[in-house]
Amino acid sequence: MKIGVYLCACGSNISDKINFQEIKVVVEKIENVAYVTNLDMMCSYEGLKDFEGHLRVHQPDRVIVAACSPRDHENTFMLAMGNAGINPYLMQMVNFREQLAWVTSDSDRATQKAIQLLKGACSRVVLHESLGKESIDLNSDVLIIGAGPAGLKAALTLAQADRRVTVVEKSPMMGGKAVRYEELFPKMECGPCMLEPLEAQIVHGPYAGNINLITLAEIIEVKGFFGNYIVKIKKNPRYVDIHNCIGCAECVNACPVSIDNEINFGMNKKKAMDFTFFGALPNATYIDMKSCLRSKGEDCQACQAACPIQGVVNLEDKEETIEKNVGAIILATGHSLYDVSKFPKLGYGHIEDVYTSMQFERMLSASGPTGKQIILKNGLEPKTVAIIHCVGSMDSHHAPYCSGVCCQSGFKYNYEFHHKLPGTKVYHLYKELVSPGKDSYGLYNSAVHNQDASFIRYNNIDDLEIDAHHGQKSLFYRDATGHKHRINLDMVVLLPAVVPNADSALLAQILDVGTDKMGFFEELHGIVDSTKSKVKGVYLAGSCQSPKDIKDSMTQGSAAAGNILSVLVPGRQLDIESITAWVIEEKCAGCKVCSSVCPYKAISFQEETKKSIINAVLCQGCGTCVAACPAEAIVGNFFTTEEIFAEIKGVLA
Amino acid sequence: MNTTENQGMLINSFEPKIVGFLCNWCSYAGADKAGATQAQYPPNVNIVKVMCSGRVDPQFVLKSFQEGADGVMILACHPGDCHYKEGNYRAAQRYQMLKVLLTQFGIEQERCFFDYVSAGESDKFVQLITQTVAKIKELGPLNLKVTV
Repeated sequence: MKIGVYLCACGSNISDKINFQEIKVVVEKIENVAYVTNLDMMCSYEGLKDFEGHLRVHQPDRVIVAACSPRDHENTFMLAMGNAGINPYLMQMVNFREQLAWVTSDSDRATQKAIQLLKGACSRVVLHESLGKESIDLNSDVLIIGAGPAGLKAALTLAQADRRVTVVEKSPMMGGKAVRYEELFPKMECGPCMLEPLEAQIVHGPYAGNINLITLAEIIEVKGFFGNYIVKIKKNPRYVDIHNCIGCAECVNACPVSIDNEINFGMNKKKAMDFTFFGALPNATYIDMKSCLRSKGEDCQACQAACPIQGVVNLEDKEETIEKNVGAIILATGHSLYDVSKFPKLGYGHIEDVYTSMQFERMLSASGPTGKQIILKNGLEPKTVAIIHCVGSMDSHHAPYCSGVCCQSGFKYNYEFHHKLPGTKVYHLYKELVSPGKDSYGLYNSAVHNQDASFIRYNNIDDLEIDAHHGQKSLFYRDATGHKHRINLDMVVLLPAVVPNADSALLAQILDVGTDKMGFFEELHGIVDSTKSKVKGVYLAGSCQSPKDIKDSMTQGSAAAGNILSVLVPGRQLDIESITAWVIEEKCAGCKVCSSVCPYKAISFQEETKKSIINAVLCQGCGTCVAACPAEAIVGNFFTTEEIFAEIKGVLA
Repeated sequence: MNTTENQGMLINSFEPKIVGFLCNWCSYAGADKAGATQAQYPPNVNIVKVMCSGRVDPQFVLKSFQEGADGVMILACHPGDCHYKEGNYRAAQRYQMLKVLLTQFGIEQERCFFDYVSAGESDKFVQLITQTVAKIKELGPLNLKVTV
């Protein structure tokens, strides 16, 4: 065994403080040390050339580089090792600069410590083993869960790069919540006009061939890991072939069953065989089977008979399980609104004309229950309305965060009242008003300059109460200064907090993805990696990660796609990190302690052999399982127990 | 010279050997940051880098004492900041167990020190090293009688 020790002077950063001559005398006598060589500026082009040349000539079995922090140049020197034909893992760095020369005032003591650290490195490096880079094949197809703005943007971005994408959507249509809004803040653009072309690209665009949209579907099982997932999708029967339906509505006209229109919160009626709303894509009807006469035992075939194209309506359609192999998954499942019935004093559900923001959006929509008219239940136009901000938001008992988007919605409604029903008195009740970003000021400004608008600050949602007596609705409130007031009004619009979708918890469980304390999918890092989940290969986009507006959801959709494009390249293999852990099968007692401590679910238990096995793709090399294994059956590459023991012994020698 | 002064001199001339287990992402980076600011601290702590504080096997601590360390430091990422999600919680749990174990071996609990240091907390790092060195000087050399 021949150890070559390299001391970098780092200009004079290290050699000024540490006596290389003294080190040389002592360290050359350490067992296995063949030579101690001084070099300067080893990380520079010239320095690396000298280092590589020296390695080639002297062919050491192990190498020690005493220089700066390994956090600076370990990779640089590993690369040089490789260039010189020596396995890079046969090197150990010693931190002479940041943790010694720069922080030790006494030169003699610095030199003594340098010797101790080199002794540690010498005793450890002889135990180092060559580690190879293994590679496995990757599947570059992608699964996207959710066809809202974030999911659609991701799907298109990926499809344009010729990735095959499966988009699973639980509802019968694309566009999420955003496509249900007639006009969007901050510039009052038409929502469907902006989203429908994007949706059309998904089904008919030049890259639509790369996209498989599955509606009325949900994920029931996910197995595997980054690059190699197997996903089971449950596809519920739609009874209509979305690829061949021409959207003529003959079947709708023929359907004899009228039901509450779910998308308009039951504010109007639709047929059991119908579109979600007119203009929804894919432009195909579907049957709400729980309301269809066939589910009640009748043999109604009215829709099928009315359909002009043979085979498009299939009354025998069945639930299907589809299996897909993909390399990465994007969660883009969107959000819900906070359940306002938790605030009974606000009258929702038992006082007429109290709406949530989503219901009010439908009232503003051309495809909504009133055909864009803002009217009260009694058919009259409202004269006085209250828009209540922060319903559940910024409340430690409900949603302990600002939802960020509701104020803009509130200002938008102010604009709508002002322009559609001029003279309507609008009261904004709020805890805080927010209006961030370069485009939001316009709506804010128009709201605060509306002469018929008043802004009232309150402290606590409990300080508000809506009451109705003899047809007169009133809002009783205590303002932020503690004074009580009463306003008679006709309509109330509540702006509930943005909260995670109810099915997020189940998906989190299926994918092993964490959720934060609010229930949003947890990102790898809130600032630098908010598009990645903590599970490698599972990405997050849109409001399922955190409340956000449509613009930010789209941006995050693109970002998720970009992240995937940079790691899943067809034909490229996945390099498995060398610093991972592995199980010595003969020693494993099958106690499963390791899998209980692994933060990456990288360890599974094999029932056949009763042994644990570590997936090297998922293992991130933290070594927690190595420390936890009571049988010492796990080896943590490059940080083996023997190597660390040797280092301890060396530095204390 | 009276006895107290004599003891005082002994304490002052005693330079303890301390092994510090630092995680790659936070505390080791904090130590590097201290270097970048050129803060000066006593050279008694020999740092052994691990990828995660969760890798710190209680055996590493016992081995250090067995090989002649007078003290051991384990510095982890702050709660919630672990690069590997929760390795620092494992380290914190194991530290609680270790303290009990050390007492059984007749080693003062204070000889094994655990704290959290972020990549930016060079001041805290320097302060902890300085304090720990002073504390171990106060405790004096470890005369380990049992074989671990």
